[in-house]
Amino acid sequence: MNKLIINSSKKLLSSSLNKNILKSQTALLSNVVPDNRIEVFVDDKPVLVQPGVTVLQACAEAGVEIPRFCYHERLAIAGNCRMCLVEIERTPKPVASCAMPVMKGMKIKTDSPVTRKAREGVMEFMLVNHPLDCPVCDQGGECDLQDQAMAFGSDRSRFTDNLFSGKRATEDKNLGPLVKTSMNRCIHCTRCVRFASEVAGVDDLGTTGRGNDMQIGTYVEKLLASEVSGNVIDLCPVGALTSKPYAFTARPWELRKISSIDVLDALGSNIVVQHRAGDVMRILPRLNEDINEEWLDDKARFSYDGLRRQRLVTPMVRGHDGLLKPCEWDDAFYAIADKLSRASGSQIAALAGGLADAESLVALKDLMNRLGSENVFVEESFPGQASGTDLRSNYVANSGITNLEQADLVLLVGTNPRYEAPLYNTRIRKSLVHNELKVALIGSQVNLSYEYDYLGDSAQILEDLLNGKHEYSKFLAKAKKPLIVLGSAALQRKDGDALLNLATRLSEKLRTQNGCPNDWRVFNVLHRWASQVAALDIGYRSGIEQIKAQKPKILYLLGADEDLVSRVDGDDTFIIYQGHHGDRGAEIADVVLPGAAYTEKSATYVNTEGRAQQASFVVAPPGKAKEDWQILRALSDVLGNPLPYDDLDALRKRMGEVSPTLTSYDKIESASFLPLSVSLSQKVKPALSKEPIRAWQTELGDFYMTNPISRASLTMARCVQSFKKTNEPVKQTQANANP
Amino acid sequence: MSLLVRNFSKLNPLGSIRSYSEVVNVFGRRSVDTQAADEKKTIATIPENTESVKEVSGHPEVHLTGRLAKIYVPPKNSMQSGTFGTRRWRIDFDNRDRWENPLMGWGSSGDPLSSLQPEFGSKEDAIVYCQRMGFRYVVEEEREIKRRIKSYGANYSWNKRTRVSTK
Repeated sequence: MNKLIINSSKKLLSSSLNKNILKSQTALLSNVVPDNRIEVFVDDKPVLVQPGVTVLQACAEAGVEIPRFCYHERLAIAGNCRMCLVEIERTPKPVASCAMPVMKGMKIKTDSPVTRKAREGVMEFMLVNHPLDCPVCDQGGECDLQDQAMAFGSDRSRFTDNLFSGKRATEDKNLGPLVKTSMNRCIHCTRCVRFASEVAGVDDLGTTGRGNDMQIGTYVEKLLASEVSGNVIDLCPVGALTSKPYAFTARPWELRKISSIDVLDALGSNIVVQHRAGDVMRILPRLNEDINEEWLDDKARFSYDGLRRQRLVTPMVRGHDGLLKPCEWDDAFYAIADKLSRASGSQIAALAGGLADAESLVALKDLMNRLGSENVFVEESFPGQASGTDLRSNYVANSGITNLEQADLVLLVGTNPRYEAPLYNTRIRKSLVHNELKVALIGSQVNLSYEYDYLGDSAQILEDLLNGKHEYSKFLAKAKKPLIVLGSAALQRKDGDALLNLATRLSEKLRTQNGCPNDWRVFNVLHRWASQVAALDIGYRSGIEQIKAQKPKILYLLGADEDLVSRVDGDDTFIIYQGHHGDRGAEIADVVLPGAAYTEKSATYVNTEGRAQQASFVVAPPGKAKEDWQILRALSDVLGNPLPYDDLDALRKRMGEVSPTLTSYDKIESASFLPLSVSLSQKVKPALSKEPIRAWQTELGDFYMTNPISRASLTMARCVQSFKKTNEPVKQTQANANP
Repeated sequence: MSLLVRNFSKLNPLGSIRSYSEVVNVFGRRSVDTQAADEKKTIATIPENTESVKEVSGHPEVHLTGRLAKIYVPPKNSMQSGTFGTRRWRIDFDNRDRWENPLMGWGSSGDPLSSLQPEFGSKEDAIVYCQRMGFRYVVEEEREIKRRIKSYGANYSWNKRTRVSTK
């Protein structure tokens, strides 16, 4: 029996893994000078690897996947689970392959009797104290320990002692509303500890005690206060850390998995949305080295319950009594058509929100233009004095996310990437830890989870840096690959024009004077909203002020929920709201058209680096709700001015005509007009404001609820609540100190 | 995701001859290994232009023309470290509505293609399948893991930030 399992596992390893691992390993091999490499033998098969590579990585290169628990590609090596033991010729004992560097001519045996016996022994020790509660464990079905026990473990236990003494019992820890713990199941791999300290930059988790008495935890009970804490659930190879909102709701084999993208921040992290019978059950990250690696932030991972609450499920029209009344689509459309027929083009305006997809943005703009209106605005404002939104290089993160790993100095202006784009921040942190990156910040002095040089919060500093008057200029001048990251929150200021102007000029100065490589781009804008880059590509402008001044007769809100326009601004304005949640926008509307959230439509979003990606249809929109572009198309029909696209393909073709970047999926079209933009910007001299630059979000509590979906999420509300609770005593003592 | 224009001529010029080992098993049975046979010798040759099985496949017309097949490599489950599930190319059709069956509470669907997930040894096999069946398709390129060189010693290096403080 035992032999059988081992034999079949051997076949499993050698036949199927070879191809797959060989493919993924090319990265290690490709940038290597051939002379440098050394030869090792994995199961008598010669492989050339770089010196310094571990035995485990060399085996992977040869197409053999070594079983492991503690080793993780993106974390430091711990070497404490011992599952990766292999036999190496002429060593007395099996060697932990994850920590052992290769040596020339090493003969590694990954499937010898010694190796197999070592694995079986290690597995036996793991299972001594691991509870047999797989049937009630949330990890069941996607558990590394389960799988590897089947493949490498023994078929029976020899620990009869368990009958008398029982297994080790450990108290469960309370890590907050997201991570559920069941510490009896812990096998002490310390992946969660390493993740928290290396990637999240929060030294909250640690180990206490040693040997059999070792425990993972926070020592004193406290919240795992990190914006990326959900990743420890993925990392845990057993069921010790599982998802609290997902607990006991589904099994992995009943879920259907749809690849999609996240839109709750502007990075466009790749996700897998898992659903069952029309309900989104959970959201997991999907590997994309260019964006999120394999992490996901907590808002993107856990706010899926907001997709089911507070939804607009039927069209509504405000009646004479001032209340919104459910109605049919026709009634809503005729009510709109009636109003529109009495307004001229210039009296109509449209305002798009932060979660709008490119399809509906194009359809809305086309519709507005057909009605004779050029007033298409986007909520998040972007300066337009000089070249502004005309040149793409002004409003995207030109260098891309991956180049953070190449950079040697990053200057953050008016942004707190830790909460505005958590995975952008983990990238900076990664580079800081591994490549000795230097980070400087102008803006609120926030905790970025790593050390940085704080320059101050005055806008004047940027001008001083440009003129070389500031003492930090000498560091900037020395940087060979500098990056400037301008937060879009700073651009909402009155002097946004000036900040953009100064930042682009400084970037161009550094690029030309520091001897950067030719293809190096310095200037980046870090956006807050998933729709922003697409909206600017399509030709939306910032115009809240204009709407307030003009008081249009008809205002069309496309998911605009940030409370920037209100009833007070125009009493007799007829407001149409199209969106998915009953949030701030729907509250002030006269007609409500229910749309689809990002998991309910096949839609295009362009992330902050200008990369177009598609979100997928996972579940159907609830009730009478429809996909957004279809609503606009249907409305145009009622208005007697039908838009010239009947299906998604035709619409995407039209999007390609508007801007080719919208349909060249997963590619970054490099925008190289920054020199032009700078020469244009030198003509204008906008004034800087004396007001200090402040970050949009300064503490973790601000991070969770930022858009209609996360505001409707119970899980996110619990996070805010527990954050407040954790920080309450501190505030109280402060209040007591100065009454 | 890159939109791949259907380009018959580039892949295999119309009317060209392909070996039998290349076209075997493209009918989409699940868990059939469509990698080329061990022996590379040609068993039989079938002319390309008579290969279309669209007319005899039995698929309703609405599901042949109205659907979009996505050819992709399933992503690794982020909950596990194994990569066995990512070794093949798979075809998924655009997702359609599913609901809970009021009688038993099971998941229901009106989509006959929702459970059709043929797997292939290579992207090209999957493309040939789509062409023969007459499906419109999109190819999502494979995502590769970037690996860095790691050393256990980095945990203890005295002058680097990789030094581990938390244990």
